[in-house]
Amino acid sequence: MMREIGDVARAVSNRYIEAWKEAGHKVVGFPCTFVPEEILHAAGILPFRLRGVGTKTLSIGDTYYGPVICSFPKCILQLAGQGDYSFLDGVIITNGCDSMRRLDECWRKAGEDIEGILPGFFYYFGVPHKVTDYSIEWFIEEIRELLGALEKHFETEITDQALHRSIEIYNNGRKLLRKLDSIRASEGISISGEDAMAIIIASSSMPREDFNTLAEMTLSHVKKSDAGMAGKKRLMIVGSANDDLDFIRLIEDSGALVVADTMCFGSKSYDDLVDEAGDPVEALARRYLSHSYCPRMFGYYKERLDYIRKKAAEVRVDGIILQNIRFCDLHGSENGIFERDLEKEGIPCMRMEREYGPLVETGRIKMRIDAFMERIG
Amino acid sequence: MIWSILDHAAKLSHGSSKEYNDLLELVPHFEDVLDMFLKQGEPGELFLKLLAEYTAQCLNAKKEGKKVCLTSFSVATPILYAFDVVPLCLEAYTVLGTIIFKRGTGQFLDYCCELGFTETSCSAQRGALGAFLAGLAIRPDFVVCDSPGVCDSNANSFAFASAYLDIPFYQLNYPSTLTGKRAETYHRKDFRNLIGFLEEHTGTVLNEDKLAGVIDETKRQDELICELTEFNRLIPVPVPALYDLMVYGAKTMMNGIRQFTELLESMVKKVTTKAMLSVSGSTSTREKARVLLCYIGHYTTDARFWDWLDRNDISLLGSILCTFWQESASYAKGRSEEGYRIDDGGLDAMIDSLADQMSRMPMIKSIRGPYDAPDMWLEDSLGMARLLHADFIAYFSTVGCRNTWSSVKLLTRDLEQQSIPSLLLFVDAFDDRVASWEAITGRIEEFIQVRGIMKQSGARCSA
Repeated sequence: MMREIGDVARAVSNRYIEAWKEAGHKVVGFPCTFVPEEILHAAGILPFRLRGVGTKTLSIGDTYYGPVICSFPKCILQLAGQGDYSFLDGVIITNGCDSMRRLDECWRKAGEDIEGILPGFFYYFGVPHKVTDYSIEWFIEEIRELLGALEKHFETEITDQALHRSIEIYNNGRKLLRKLDSIRASEGISISGEDAMAIIIASSSMPREDFNTLAEMTLSHVKKSDAGMAGKKRLMIVGSANDDLDFIRLIEDSGALVVADTMCFGSKSYDDLVDEAGDPVEALARRYLSHSYCPRMFGYYKERLDYIRKKAAEVRVDGIILQNIRFCDLHGSENGIFERDLEKEGIPCMRMEREYGPLVETGRIKMRIDAFMERIG
Repeated sequence: MIWSILDHAAKLSHGSSKEYNDLLELVPHFEDVLDMFLKQGEPGELFLKLLAEYTAQCLNAKKEGKKVCLTSFSVATPILYAFDVVPLCLEAYTVLGTIIFKRGTGQFLDYCCELGFTETSCSAQRGALGAFLAGLAIRPDFVVCDSPGVCDSNANSFAFASAYLDIPFYQLNYPSTLTGKRAETYHRKDFRNLIGFLEEHTGTVLNEDKLAGVIDETKRQDELICELTEFNRLIPVPVPALYDLMVYGAKTMMNGIRQFTELLESMVKKVTTKAMLSVSGSTSTREKARVLLCYIGHYTTDARFWDWLDRNDISLLGSILCTFWQESASYAKGRSEEGYRIDDGGLDAMIDSLADQMSRMPMIKSIRGPYDAPDMWLEDSLGMARLLHADFIAYFSTVGCRNTWSSVKLLTRDLEQQSIPSLLLFVDAFDDRVASWEAITGRIEEFIQVRGIMKQSGARCSA
């Protein structure tokens, strides 16, 4: 089962997507956890979290983006330009950060130059950066507009009933991932951080019903196994988006065990549930806007620090790796203050800047992790 | 130190040449810069005086029992002055440090990184922020910014400052659309929430009379700025290149305050005289080319940029920082929904006017949405270039500007397709370690030569 999940997590496309497409269904990609996947699911569309995994060159990404931009959206654009995202019927771009929101224009303009890379449905979804009554009100309207646009383009109807059902299915998936977290937090850990991350990534890369079934089976197996993880240093990863399993393996190869994270390809995507009662759009708006774990929500540093503290205590970490993709100043800068405040409390931290994409810096990263392991050893 | 230098500088024009030379010793590495301002005559002197008064106001705020707000150039100051709050504008201090100090703000840029701020962050804030975080300057009481979602790099600097110094933070958060009832309602609700924040942290309530006074000045300032913009349409442009920096620099610091009105009045008077003579605003009175900056200016190496333009008879038609979108501005004609109007008919009208003004501030208006969306960067740049008869457009920025660097290649490509020569410069406006001044001028000179932009005789000028 882990091999099955690993296959899903290590590539852009997978057999589930191929089967989904063969059955005549639609797939819509999105780059950020602020897009309510339930809306797409309720429309009968497969929500797919955009990734840059497998990128080998940035010849297309660099053509449209400037030189001092995060490699994550550049890699997504590269794959889109190469045709790797040809299975997408639509894309929703959000203002997750400056570089990510400009993926809207870069992809559109690349679409003028490279035939067939722009999906028929290409939508900009504005997410507020603060949590107030009027920003939630704004966000509710944004979701309703998105809902209307999906209905119109895909000639479908998204009913409240379907939304309630989708919320329940997605909440079930989140509960399974939280169960995975509790397994990782326990004494006799029996799953590596690499495998755990593969499970989490798979959740946004395949139909959620299939994922829930697969995850349930995998977790029951994990509980019974003994993978010999005892004695390893327990680490938590904080910071920029990471869906690179090789990065986690590199850390664990140094004698560590990654037991938790606060990343958007990780716990940020499932740590809180959507209210299953009341108006579904309002419930989605509140859940998606109120989980301010991302530094794009400016002014919520203390909330994020408390979240890390709580999580670190729960899983009893020996150290925290504060990583950011180069040019991701939002995570990079906040990591600087996290380091100051967490170190003061006796939690060893290591800040690391890296590139997204193929691990071209393996040697440098390994050396730094080894040094950190020596420090906390 | 900045205040001390500026205070001395502001007095230089009043003394004898002996006193001038002696005083120059007190303002080391500043001689060329000072001359650049002083040769403008009264407007230059008033500008130096305004700088001295602004920095003195920041320095003395605590003594006078005033609250100090760490804020950005994109935040319009009238609402802060209405609360008697002193705006401590990070970018203004970065520019002052860049211009005044021998090596610019290099040491403060680097100090920020020692504290955990990324080296790739925007230098526009980082230059001054380092000094504030090091405790070398006044400690702000709270932070107000308005760039989340417009320029996250900018917002991130203020969020970092708030978290690092553990002081309250308020963000005005604009949607990616500018016009329409929905956006207007959101702008105004958010602005009223800001008033609540200011009331909470100053322990006062908004005084209608005080607000009316600030509004009155703001209204007059808007009229004068529009007049100056109108002059930029003339061939040759009678507006000296340096006025670009002086207008937005002073507005950043003292919008709504009498000193800024006096400066603008003096500028308009001087430009009117030049316009009547049909001469260019440059020292030689000739005009060989007209450039529009589609983003910001270039401040490093003693702010030689403006003087270089002057010496090369290149008229500066402005930058994004000079577009404030008053309804009566010539570039806002026919685009009325994008402009704002100051309405002084009652408290609510005044508050709504300031909310509208704030939501159209430089950068906030033009790059909040997709660059090629209606009302945004491409349309604004094209509109300005055509209105002001620009010979070419140049892009200066900072290495930390994720937003514009993510779309500027697309913008310049579109501008070129519209037959507007466009120069994209990889420089940092506040850090000359990225690109030297010589390298920058070399690239501009090469560009205008290759594209045949320079008119050798300046023939369009009558003098």
